[in-house]
Amino acid sequence: MHLAKFFHLLAATALMATLTSCGDSSDPSVLVERELSTTEKGFNVVETSRERFRYQTQAPPTQGEATSGATGSGNPKLAYDTPEGWEEKPGSSMRDVNFVFGENGEGSCYLARLPGAGGGMVANVNRWRGQFKANPLTEAEIAALPKLALFRQPATLVEVDGPFAPGMGSTDTFDDYRLRGLILASSAGAVFVKMTGPKALVAANSDAFNQFVASLDVKTN
Amino acid sequence: MAKNSIDWSPGNWPKLLYQFFTSFKLATTVLFLMLLVTLFGTLDQVDNGLHKAKEIYFHSWFINETMGSLPVILPGGMLLMLILFVNMTLGAIVKVRKRWRGAGLLISHFGMLLLLAGGFITNQFATDDYIALYPGMSSSKVESYREWQLEVMPLSKDGQAEKAWLYPSDVLDTVRPDEQRTIQTEALPFDVVINGYSKNAMPIPTSAPMAASVTGKEIDGFKLSPQKPSTEAEQNLPGAYVEFRPKNGADPIEGILWAGSYYFDPREKPMPFTFEVGDQLYGALLAKKSRPLPFEVRLDEFIFERHPGVTTPRNYESRITRIEEGQPDKPVEIKMNEPMRYEGYTFFQESFGPAGSNPGDDMYSQFAVAKNPADQWPLWALVINGIGLGIHFIIMLVSYSSRARKKRSATEATS
Repeated sequence: MHLAKFFHLLAATALMATLTSCGDSSDPSVLVERELSTTEKGFNVVETSRERFRYQTQAPPTQGEATSGATGSGNPKLAYDTPEGWEEKPGSSMRDVNFVFGENGEGSCYLARLPGAGGGMVANVNRWRGQFKANPLTEAEIAALPKLALFRQPATLVEVDGPFAPGMGSTDTFDDYRLRGLILASSAGAVFVKMTGPKALVAANSDAFNQFVASLDVKTN
Repeated sequence: MAKNSIDWSPGNWPKLLYQFFTSFKLATTVLFLMLLVTLFGTLDQVDNGLHKAKEIYFHSWFINETMGSLPVILPGGMLLMLILFVNMTLGAIVKVRKRWRGAGLLISHFGMLLLLAGGFITNQFATDDYIALYPGMSSSKVESYREWQLEVMPLSKDGQAEKAWLYPSDVLDTVRPDEQRTIQTEALPFDVVINGYSKNAMPIPTSAPMAASVTGKEIDGFKLSPQKPSTEAEQNLPGAYVEFRPKNGADPIEGILWAGSYYFDPREKPMPFTFEVGDQLYGALLAKKSRPLPFEVRLDEFIFERHPGVTTPRNYESRITRIEEGQPDKPVEIKMNEPMRYEGYTFFQESFGPAGSNPGDDMYSQFAVAKNPADQWPLWALVINGIGLGIHFIIMLVSYSSRARKKRSATEATS
């Protein structure tokens, strides 16, 4: 009987503790003072919002200076990791970094830059979607697309499935393809990372794409 | 008829409640609902990511969501686990007949209760932070991956501050993008007004084409564009429009705060929005919530090796010194799968940076720092459970053998 009472008490205490812990929150109308530790006392006082928001403080490299992280030279240079199973191909006048992957190199991924806003976010997203016969998106729909960090800035993630007609002089159409790409467009410059290939292959390389994107950096020495 | 009627008089309520909470039907119903919550919570991770799905489905009292076009209205994981805890405590521990035959099951139920209690303790008290250091750097604080707070500090001209006034993350997180909230303190000569807070946002220069579609106010050539929160909550960079209203009636100062102005690299310093009130320079920024450690950690050496010919890391480990007042400095090695456990904290070797670094480069080491008072409870719970089920198995085996022996003897005696 005593044991039963003890467990009743235990259950009631647990219930009370749970319910009372839910209302624990700070006062929404006051600021709270705190001492800064030694490592927290220094701040970088910058003049403009442009600097504060990191625009033009880490510009992508100029043409011809992009190199792999392992072998590159030049100042600045583009640094990145090559995902496992991806093979690097020579760049071109339009592509700073060029990869192929898959058994027969059916998948490709490249990084390209354009000066200025590169035609704008809406035009570029819908240009990519047009290559897959997908309907264009509105500005609001594009603004709501998910973001991934690219050069420490949020870049718009575009994913489209369908028949892929790359254009650019090619009349070929590839069925059941997928695009996974990132667009970072600002007045400081536009950066595009675009991966295309058979749907299953691109899906299987999604993590590799993320790994490549996360590894991208600009080295200044 | 009269035999089956229920006595609803107030005096009988405790008994009815006791019957309800000890019923096996309740346990079955709760377990079924937990199955549904687990199913929907798992599916929801595809759209909302792990952190948000956990908050919505498992750390909640009630769930009122839509998945695609399917409405999901269920009791939340927290409520179900609380009911199960009470049900198991009363039904399987208190009410159950105490006899040797049931000892194993009683012990295993204690194990399950410990597991549930551990989950509750973890939910309420565990912290999950990180610390990143270059060799030679030391720190006695860790920072949150996901919680951001607003901080305002008086600054010297060379960017030094002694103290800051913060608006904690738990209340900042409740400010909606279209909400205006005024925050005050007597210690500062101005009030802080938040004119909308977005959990993920991007400042866009008004010269960029996409700025035309952003409805926010332009301040210093930028607009703040709210973004869809990332499925990886730690990737969100919140932003806010803020206004500082001097108490002396001077014109208010408006600014945009963006989490990207905080530092990404441990050698960077945060870049606050700066303004003057009177002759004093002030800074304001969105900073990650930090928690003090009861000791200091200095990174002495970071060892990083790649597999030959490829970029995949082969090994990375850190040699640190743990510095604590009144204690001799303690050198410790932290490797992948070999964390440092000390004073309730566990330091895991998590990652390194900056991105694109190579062996020989100047690199920082990042540790995931977990503090969970119930860290080992699941292990103990499983051990207790295992012992309980083992005992139950042995009791059942002995009982079966004994019955079989008696039956055999009886058969032999009658034949």
